[in-house]
Amino acid sequence: MLSVGTSGGVQRKKLFDRLTKPDYLMVYATIGIFILIYAFGAILYGHKGFTSLRTFMLLFSDNAYIGISAVGMTMVLITGGIDLSVGAVASLTGMIIAYGTSVMGLHPLVCISIALLVGVSLGALMGACIQYLNVPAFVTTLTGMFFARGVCSLISRDSISIKHDMIDSLAGFKLYFKWPNELGEWVKIKPVASVDLNTIMFVVMIIIGAVILQKTRFGRNVYAIGGSAQSANLMGLPVGRTRVMVYAFNGLCSALAGISYVLYVKSGWNLALMGSELDVISSCVIGGVMLSGGVGYMVGTLMGVLLKATIPAIITFNGAMNSWWAKIFTGLLLLLFIVIQRLVVSATARRKNK
Amino acid sequence: MNDIILEMKGMEIAFPGVKALDKVDFTLLKGEVHALLGENGAGKSTLIKCLTGVHRMDAGTILLEAKPIRPSNTQEAQRLGISTVYQEVNLCPNLTVAENIFIGRQPMKRGRIDWKTMNKRASELMGLMGMDVDVTRTLGTCSIAIQQMASIARAVDVNAKVLILDEPTSSLDENEVQHLFRVMNDLKQRGLGIVFITHFLDQVFAISDRLTVLRNGKLVGQFETSKINKLELVTSMIGKDINVIYSLKKAQPKEDAPQVLEVDNIGIPAKVEDISFDVKKGELVGFAGLLGSGRTETAEMLFGVTHPTKGEITVHGKRVQLKAPLDAILQKMAFCPEDRKRDGIIGDLSVRENITLAVQATRGFLHPMKRKEQEELADKYIRILSISTPDAEKRVGELSGGNQQKVILARWLATQPDLLILDEPTRGIDVGAKAEIQRLMLEMCEEGKSVIFISSELDEIIRCSNRIIVMRDMSKAAELDGDTQQAEILKIIASEDEKEVSA
Repeated sequence: MLSVGTSGGVQRKKLFDRLTKPDYLMVYATIGIFILIYAFGAILYGHKGFTSLRTFMLLFSDNAYIGISAVGMTMVLITGGIDLSVGAVASLTGMIIAYGTSVMGLHPLVCISIALLVGVSLGALMGACIQYLNVPAFVTTLTGMFFARGVCSLISRDSISIKHDMIDSLAGFKLYFKWPNELGEWVKIKPVASVDLNTIMFVVMIIIGAVILQKTRFGRNVYAIGGSAQSANLMGLPVGRTRVMVYAFNGLCSALAGISYVLYVKSGWNLALMGSELDVISSCVIGGVMLSGGVGYMVGTLMGVLLKATIPAIITFNGAMNSWWAKIFTGLLLLLFIVIQRLVVSATARRKNK
Repeated sequence: MNDIILEMKGMEIAFPGVKALDKVDFTLLKGEVHALLGENGAGKSTLIKCLTGVHRMDAGTILLEAKPIRPSNTQEAQRLGISTVYQEVNLCPNLTVAENIFIGRQPMKRGRIDWKTMNKRASELMGLMGMDVDVTRTLGTCSIAIQQMASIARAVDVNAKVLILDEPTSSLDENEVQHLFRVMNDLKQRGLGIVFITHFLDQVFAISDRLTVLRNGKLVGQFETSKINKLELVTSMIGKDINVIYSLKKAQPKEDAPQVLEVDNIGIPAKVEDISFDVKKGELVGFAGLLGSGRTETAEMLFGVTHPTKGEITVHGKRVQLKAPLDAILQKMAFCPEDRKRDGIIGDLSVRENITLAVQATRGFLHPMKRKEQEELADKYIRILSISTPDAEKRVGELSGGNQQKVILARWLATQPDLLILDEPTRGIDVGAKAEIQRLMLEMCEEGKSVIFISSELDEIIRCSNRIIVMRDMSKAAELDGDTQQAEILKIIASEDEKEVSA
């Protein structure tokens, strides 16, 4: 007959069904494999300090620029699109800040504002091309990548180092966790005493991204477009506006990633972050975001970034292995996740046939 | 209750080369189910598309509750209270059932989506329609029936005044159709005006209050359903007396005609088992049975799509191993699959390319057909099958369902097959095109070809077949003479259910 689930509504079964939703499986897979690999590192290099909280926090701060960019990328991928320009736009942000402060002598805040504006406008422009001129996202953002990279070189072919008190203080900023001891004095909590600005930006952006995706109509429209843009349109959803906004938001994330990178290296270079767009995309895919659109979670992306960061960390701790091994393992990991995605898709199809 | 809710007057729209609508009037009352009928290409969907803002009309007025409207897109039509549920469900498969009902207008709490309330209300809405569904399930994992109900729930809850159901029953089974009818009756009571488009005439008589018939873009008439009989209706739809069309004569294979195909006890364990039958030259063998009774599975084994693990297939007296469809094609067999959208038609290719596809396959890619050759072949079959297309270069996806079916038929006829397997060739196409396809099959038999004809509609099986094989529960249940009565076949098909009940 027509009824699906049991009419008694066995609550536990429903919860079980919800937790085993195929979409979540990929996030579980990411978390599971992260724990495995982390445990592997812990067993081998635990004595060298791999398991210390400091090392764990470094996974965040060293990869903040990838993570921040991945927040926007996740949204783009969920709509079924792709953005290849993120690395170049982030690099452009770095150039604007470096050239503005060091050569033109502008205040860093002015440069940062300009950089954010440029990022958002470029994103919106590309989104508009994709939506209204029907240019495939791949081509549009490839063009955007070359454009942004070109402008970087136009500004300067050489690396420009940034020397400004404000940038230094931002880069050196640390949020300390303190609590009062018996004497009523505020002391730092050990072992993790501080979190730097990059980590804060990364985590805050992940949270913002997750709230947008799960708790706003805009976020749900993003999923709807990825599921079927045509249906979304017929259901009366603002497909065009949403898509342009997604790319604009991704432009914002690229610029923020650029700022994060500037704080990390304190310089601007026209060839910085070459190929990082692929790091960003692969982090998302490892985190269970489907390249075909419609499926993905911010938690997954967060885990994807961490998982992808853990491999080079282990290689570094090993010390003897060439860093290219990190790439090889990342490649294998990516392959594994793509296979998992296919399996989940076909499992879903089977479930439907039942 | 008899207020007019929607009125369309003097609707006209022209597409390059054709007048798609020519002074068509249509009125819909509050609380009625109004069937919109006509053959493919009669202008039904064009009329609906004017109403939902997809097409711009050239002339005419639309009055919704006596106020003139001119929607320019679907969103606007929806805001005005005109919702459409399409044949192919237009929802997002990756979202949950509840979300699909509420997306774009989710209940909010403190600026954030209130999932709990949303799921609760969705559950209530589905419950109102008699559906006990876990609304947090991903829509893509639900059956078509549930998806359709979700679609209707959404349409109705958006405060619809006019609900258009475009072929909603074509992928539902009998129970699901009855359920849909109950929901439609319920919505009718609530004062909605429902426009119901379908090819199933029985359903028209079962549910509609009034009906409007279109033919070639013109209005034929508006009738009270209770005051018209089926024959009059069909006659008005096709503009000819139906008896002329249905005066088909069965094929008459010679007594001593050679066997074209002999199938001995083939099967795939746990799928289909123990199928044996034969087909003579010039004979039409019908396969009756419910959907999923093993008809399609048998056809697929014959065509090398799947591989029987036991038994023998003999073609023209020679035992064959069919490893792939190409082997079957080389044995001069042809197969028109059930789902033409998925397995048959390549919508983006032209009529010519679709027709020449199978011929090209038999030649191998090293011997491409010359353009001129292709054009001749395509033109020939467009003429023979009277495929209505402006020319051979039109994209097949833009043709109507009946014409797409003819293009597939042409593709296989072009390979000059000795044995043609047709799986539900007449499903989802209108009465006129149906009759034409039946006539073509019989003509082929007369030319000395053989046909295996699979269909769910018993009357057309009985009308055309020399012998009828009844499938049940994944195996052959009976082999009957072509002059069998419908009731007898039904008894054989139904006996499975009896067994199940008694077991």
